[in-house]
Amino acid sequence: MIIDVNAYLGHFAFRQLRHNTAASLLALMDAKKIDKAVVSSAAAITYRNAQAGNEEVAAEVKRHSDRLIPFAVINPFYAGWRDDLKICHEEFGMRGLRLYPKWHNYSLSDRCCLDLVNAAAERGMVVSIPLRVEDKRERSWLVDVPDLLLEEIAGLIKACPKARFILLNGIGYVNSPLGRKDSDLPSNYAIEISRLSALLENEIGQLMANLGADRLLLGSGMPFSYPDPALLKLDVLEASASDKEKIRWQNAAKWLRL
Amino acid sequence: MDSSESQQIVSRRSFLKRSAAMAVALTSTAGRVASGAEGGQSAAGTKTGPSRKTKVIDCHAHLRHRSRATWEADDRKLIEAADKLEIDQLCCSILTPRRPATADGFRECNQWVADGMRRFAGRVLGYCYVNPGYAREALEESRRCVEERGFIGVKLYNEYTCTEPVVFPIVELAIELRVPILHHAGHSHYVMEDQPRISDSGHIAELARRYPEAMLICAHVSGGGDWEWTIKALRNAPSVFLDTSGSATDEGVVEMAARVLGVDRLVFGCDTSMTASVGRIRAAELSAGDREKILGGNMEKLLRRRKS
Repeated sequence: MIIDVNAYLGHFAFRQLRHNTAASLLALMDAKKIDKAVVSSAAAITYRNAQAGNEEVAAEVKRHSDRLIPFAVINPFYAGWRDDLKICHEEFGMRGLRLYPKWHNYSLSDRCCLDLVNAAAERGMVVSIPLRVEDKRERSWLVDVPDLLLEEIAGLIKACPKARFILLNGIGYVNSPLGRKDSDLPSNYAIEISRLSALLENEIGQLMANLGADRLLLGSGMPFSYPDPALLKLDVLEASASDKEKIRWQNAAKWLRL
Repeated sequence: MDSSESQQIVSRRSFLKRSAAMAVALTSTAGRVASGAEGGQSAAGTKTGPSRKTKVIDCHAHLRHRSRATWEADDRKLIEAADKLEIDQLCCSILTPRRPATADGFRECNQWVADGMRRFAGRVLGYCYVNPGYAREALEESRRCVEERGFIGVKLYNEYTCTEPVVFPIVELAIELRVPILHHAGHSHYVMEDQPRISDSGHIAELARRYPEAMLICAHVSGGGDWEWTIKALRNAPSVFLDTSGSATDEGVVEMAARVLGVDRLVFGCDTSMTASVGRIRAAELSAGDREKILGGNMEKLLRRRKS
């Protein structure tokens, strides 16, 4: 069993994506033996009204709820976010959120963001936060969106101890409180491995030692990214078979309450 | 690491054994093995995939600069990573931590590369890194490294844009010696203040028009910004090769490069982003034969052009 917690559907504003419909993503997942994937709207990253992207995803995954797990992209500074959250959770069956504070122009410490995270926590929804969408060296001439800082995320985690977080597309955790053994942060977050090294620096191994294998999740970033690099990390990782199974799917099943 | 340790690394892993597993690691469409497989055994545990005919060569690798206390262990880890990923040979350079490099600085780096070629005999191939601004020293060093030390090519970084005349004598020497030049490159849509003279694939294409007989490799398409731009700018420079390495795992880069440039112009590299770089080749929609060309066949051909 493999569960990918970091996947997307729809178009992205600055690059053509392949495998970005439910049918084509499922075909890719079949080829890579990925059983389930958490998906959100790539278009909602740049839509002003992100809910339109959530509606697109809801329509796409409708007949594939056994394999595609939809998450909602919500901008807490946009009109009607509470209504959108309610619709996404109750009507669309979305189990979590994806937040894009740098793209949607707010801070993780803003009151509205804390309200959104707490509202999601009350609903039992997971809050996932991509630290970046694409490599910053590739960015379009139209935008200059910085990566989220690990310190900003640590602040949110501390401020919302009842929420549950999944951190996506990140790197460098071992040099921050998020990846240290002795930090005073609650253990209400898990880290996805798509950008972490399994060889040389071996950040995955360091995080396993510091936080435990229970806090790591497989994610690929498909279809922005090829899924194989993330899968290969697990192949070459120096870890027990049981720890690899945790990362491959068991931890995700727990975090997503599947 | 002493030489006996390096000998152990080489001898305990025969080339043939590595080769048998190699194709599977890099051609598996499943991208994984049966659960329970431990690291290092994954490739052998998979049961599908064609047998491999050619070596896998990482055209873009680096040994560690010795100003870093852990250099020896880091070099060893690189070879161990190559073992796990079933990479047969790594074409390595060492860059100075601060650039522009001085003549003493690049000579010291090349001395360490030569030492790495001895420590990891048969695994590490050497690029001679020079700063073309030191005209006489750079030419002497390049010739000495290739002719006397057995280096396989020249590595140029960002001290000068490759279309600046100061670079031309190095290119002409590489043509004479029939060795490739791996040229650092990137194209972003903003000013890279830390690399004001970085070359992009357009510059390399322009250099290739001036020297069509040069063997130019445009570095790290997956670590050099807008890869669609990079690929398109090379379309009409048929003598330029493109190195697939880099940390960005963007889907589709290899397929676009193969479609626009042709697979014969693509050479596999990691630039120390090991799983990203192997993973993208494993993922790409390619025939087994085309994958072999990219993984090593094309680079082997390039290296065979060398003046004996």
